[in-house]
Amino acid sequence: MASLLEMTGIQKHFGGVQALKNVDFDIEAGEVHALVGENGAGKSTLIKILSGAYTPDSGTIKIEGQEVTIANPRQAQALGVVTIYQETSLYPDLSVLENLFMGRQPRRRFGLLDWGAMKKEAEAVFKRLGVDIPLSARLGDLGKAYAQLVEIAKALSQKARILVMDEATAALTSDDVERLFGIIRTMRSQGVAIIYISHRLDEIFRVTDRVTVLRDGERVGSERVANVNQNWLIQRMVGRELTNLYPRNIRAPGKVLLEVGNLTRIGVFENVSFSLREGEIVGLAGLVGSGRSEIVRAIFGIDRYDSGTVLLEGKPLSSKPWEAVQSGVALLPEDRSRQGAILAMPVRANMTLAVLHNLHKGGFLDEKQEASITDRFIQALQVRPPRSELPVASLSGGNQQKVVLGKWLASNPKVLILDEPTQGVDVGAKAEIHQLMDRLVNELGVGILMISSDLPEVLGMADRLLVMHRGHLVAELPRGASPEQAMAKATGLEAQGIAHVR
Amino acid sequence: MYVDRGRQYSIAGFLAALLVVLALAAGNFFSLGNFSDILVNISFVTIAAVGMMAVILTGQIDISIGVTLSICSTVAAIASKAGVPIPLVALISVGTGALLGLVNGLLVTRFKVHSIIVTLGTMSVFRGLLIYFTKGAWIYSLPQDFRSVGLGTFLGIQNPIWAMIIVLLVAAWLFSSTAWGRSLYAVGSNPEAARLSGIRVPFVQASVFVVLGALVGLATMFYATRFSTIQSNTGQGFEFVVITAVVVGGVNIFGGSGTVLGVALGALLVGITGTALTFLGISAYWEQAIQGLFILLAVAFDSVRLRRRRYVLQKVRGGV
Amino acid sequence: MNATRRYFRIRLSAAEIVLVAALALAIIVMSRLSPQFLTVNNFFEVTRFVTEIGLISLGMSVVILTGGIDLSVGSIVGLSAIVLGASFHAGVNVWLAALLGVLAGALCGFVNGLIITRANIPPLIVTLATLAIYRGLALGISQARNYRDYPDVFYKLGQGYVGPVPVQFIVFVVFMLVFVLLLGRTVFGRAVYALGNNETATRFSGIHVDRLKLIIYTLSGFLSGVAGIVLVSRLSTAKPDLGLGYELDAITAVVLGGTAIAGGSGGIWGTLLGLFIVGIVRNGLSLAFIKADVQLVFIGLVLIAAVVFNQVTRRPARR
Repeated sequence: MASLLEMTGIQKHFGGVQALKNVDFDIEAGEVHALVGENGAGKSTLIKILSGAYTPDSGTIKIEGQEVTIANPRQAQALGVVTIYQETSLYPDLSVLENLFMGRQPRRRFGLLDWGAMKKEAEAVFKRLGVDIPLSARLGDLGKAYAQLVEIAKALSQKARILVMDEATAALTSDDVERLFGIIRTMRSQGVAIIYISHRLDEIFRVTDRVTVLRDGERVGSERVANVNQNWLIQRMVGRELTNLYPRNIRAPGKVLLEVGNLTRIGVFENVSFSLREGEIVGLAGLVGSGRSEIVRAIFGIDRYDSGTVLLEGKPLSSKPWEAVQSGVALLPEDRSRQGAILAMPVRANMTLAVLHNLHKGGFLDEKQEASITDRFIQALQVRPPRSELPVASLSGGNQQKVVLGKWLASNPKVLILDEPTQGVDVGAKAEIHQLMDRLVNELGVGILMISSDLPEVLGMADRLLVMHRGHLVAELPRGASPEQAMAKATGLEAQGIAHVR
Repeated sequence: MYVDRGRQYSIAGFLAALLVVLALAAGNFFSLGNFSDILVNISFVTIAAVGMMAVILTGQIDISIGVTLSICSTVAAIASKAGVPIPLVALISVGTGALLGLVNGLLVTRFKVHSIIVTLGTMSVFRGLLIYFTKGAWIYSLPQDFRSVGLGTFLGIQNPIWAMIIVLLVAAWLFSSTAWGRSLYAVGSNPEAARLSGIRVPFVQASVFVVLGALVGLATMFYATRFSTIQSNTGQGFEFVVITAVVVGGVNIFGGSGTVLGVALGALLVGITGTALTFLGISAYWEQAIQGLFILLAVAFDSVRLRRRRYVLQKVRGGV
Repeated sequence: MNATRRYFRIRLSAAEIVLVAALALAIIVMSRLSPQFLTVNNFFEVTRFVTEIGLISLGMSVVILTGGIDLSVGSIVGLSAIVLGASFHAGVNVWLAALLGVLAGALCGFVNGLIITRANIPPLIVTLATLAIYRGLALGISQARNYRDYPDVFYKLGQGYVGPVPVQFIVFVVFMLVFVLLLGRTVFGRAVYALGNNETATRFSGIHVDRLKLIIYTLSGFLSGVAGIVLVSRLSTAKPDLGLGYELDAITAVVLGGTAIAGGSGGIWGTLLGLFIVGIVRNGLSLAFIKADVQLVFIGLVLIAAVVFNQVTRRPARR
């Protein structure tokens, strides 16, 4: 079968850096083709060339055998290439219906908008996807998962033949990922070609037909998924084999650090109780909206809670973030670029932000101490490049995350809460973060509460796993439990009995 | 189309409460004559507020409209004294306003400078140019037909009220039922997405300044004609009254949401306040303080109402 | 170490070079137009003129650095003046009355901060409302009366000299140096820049963002109060319309000085530059008997040119 899309010999330079070296890529109609590689491997550049955001230095693009030039996003759309970016390109203030058609609304006479036609087409698209979303709802009132669905529906209604999904599941929970996979399979059966970019390797095996690996701007492998395994993939991505995916040295936990009792925020989570001990990693899993991130935000004091207690080493923990920090609690938030790092400020200013209140000498900012703290954590965390004056924005995702981690380690926390610490982080940096977590609990006796949507990761790292479902803590699983067990609890398959008893 | 009606209800409720207080304290407030006086008094503010709403919907602001009003007044007065017929005077005034708006719009979109700064600058430049050309002199003895523009009636209702109603209706239709109108909301809600959707963002952003300028030009015809002289510092502070009406009317100051009905109610509330004080026997010197308090109450009430609703896709914007 | 130098060194961005050029041009043109312009005495006349707006701009710089804005400063000037005048005429000692005026200013700023942080309403709207409220209070309290006839010693503040230097300019320089140090060398300054760049991340880093904002708006109100007192002393009278429109002059000086209106970058040195351009142009043109119109056009054009130039020459952050 002839390829729907064929990209040959694509080259792209940025200044002196060669981002893509002679890369070939092709996809057939009705195929899901995974594109993987570490951050900076050239995936985004390739996709941006395909979607018209960049023009290649050389190379050809053929669609259905016809050579085409894609000079801007509109041309790409006209050719049926639609890209769904990580950051949703939607309008929070407008209705679902308007989001689908903004900029290309069907018109009636005198330039009036044809709301009837829009409604009809929207209903048809949602039916095709097998989902039901109220068209008049304000988009901003829906969750992230729905926003993603609206993006997909928008792409389909634009008659997409080639759909590019860049980290489409990054913000989704297992439940929504399942639904997304269902939709991907539906679209595949309808002949849509899907280019699927993801850091989560298990997804590659579950939903894609073919996989192409990029490393340092070169194509280092392209195979049918059925013919390869996870090791093959990782080896090509990092150029070496990762022997131990989740390095853990389990030690006997010490005294109780954090004790959460019957914590309730009405409508968000209810009667949540658990404890965290010295030297242990406790995982917290659940779907988005299950209340897992909301719980840790409440513990740290970003959000309020209505009732319940939070004790740190037996004493009540203040519900103000600035006081929580001083008593030894740290929260690495979910959204690195928005909540974690101050991108425009240099590494040193970011690293010392959490200890700023102690960083003065005679009324002035103690720059010597600032430099020594920054240097210490740049070294300990191997931040690359190791320069404290660089703005954080100029670092890669993994190194940005290390800076945010460094900021919290500088505050010398007893309890470290990590919300999605490896999201959007490449494989190499991910392993470094895992090793660091292990050292923190073993050598310093820190207690870590870790949230991750990646079940194998959180099961691999945690001593025990707490599972949340619809605002309730529904299970505590020991180390060695399977992802399937956790999934069953998180999706509520086994929780319904409990809900009724309550 | 998603419409947030909550704000309209809260202002309507606020207005109703104010009217009840007035009814109890000063029964003669509710004479027909007084009410039409109020409407005539707010007509020019309302007309300009509709234009300001378009600008704010796209996430921008224009603080130069006081000067625009001033320049349009001067131009219209000079034209009228030169014997130009009134319909043509109106056209000249609207055109002058649109031209000044175009300057703002082009500066904002060509150089991607924040509209607060651009209009802060043009406000100064325009005012300076006006004084330069008029030598700061007042314009006296305006012709009678110019001064009676606002006095004429049609079907027993004064012309300014008609103009206000027509502008409101046309705007309500434009903002809700045309591609241009919806693109205002889109650009204000998420400019980057609007660009990716193929909306010509710079065109939309510039067009709202022109619309605002033209509407200020129109408002001039019901503002300048109320006085027997035009001073060179006329219109100072106009921008604050108009922005107040828009904001009290529930238009999100960061863009993306708001309704024409809300703005109309906002202007009415701002307009009634002044008259109400007189009827309640409160010194006019307190008027500004009480107007300010109303803005705060209206916005604070709305902020509490909205807080219950916000969720995941919450907009993240810097201050200002 | 060089740290000291770093914070006192004036780094010039492209826009600031435009400003320096504009300033130089203005000085050359002015000295041609009027022989009195380039005299020491006249320089100090300029400084007298910039003091009130200058004090306000210091607070405004910090407010804008955090991504906020304070439109109520001009009204606070008026209210502080009226508080001073009214309490003096009620028999309070003039210096105590001045203190009351300054405190009233600080209180106004505190109220701004309180509403902004507690009710979670954008500063633009809050201060638009309090602009009306504070001016209305000044009008209401005074019933549009003027308060005159202060003891001579009070006029020293706004009309007196120490050697050739006007007293109020000394006041301004002291406050300015305090603010340079505060922003560049202290934990407070660092937190201000962090807040301006990314409020959410600053909050997540355990910085007491609300208290910080409260302090900043209180400072802005306090400085406006001081400006109000200086103004009354200079004009020998307290009127409720004092300071009308000062918010725009102060914002112009700050923005002209290169502080980003969205917050996060800029500083006091830039504001000082902006301030002097406004001051020198106004003074020089007045000496040369050129009227307010050309001054306004010049200031507006320099503002637009500086900001446009900054946009055009700034390298795109990401591509």
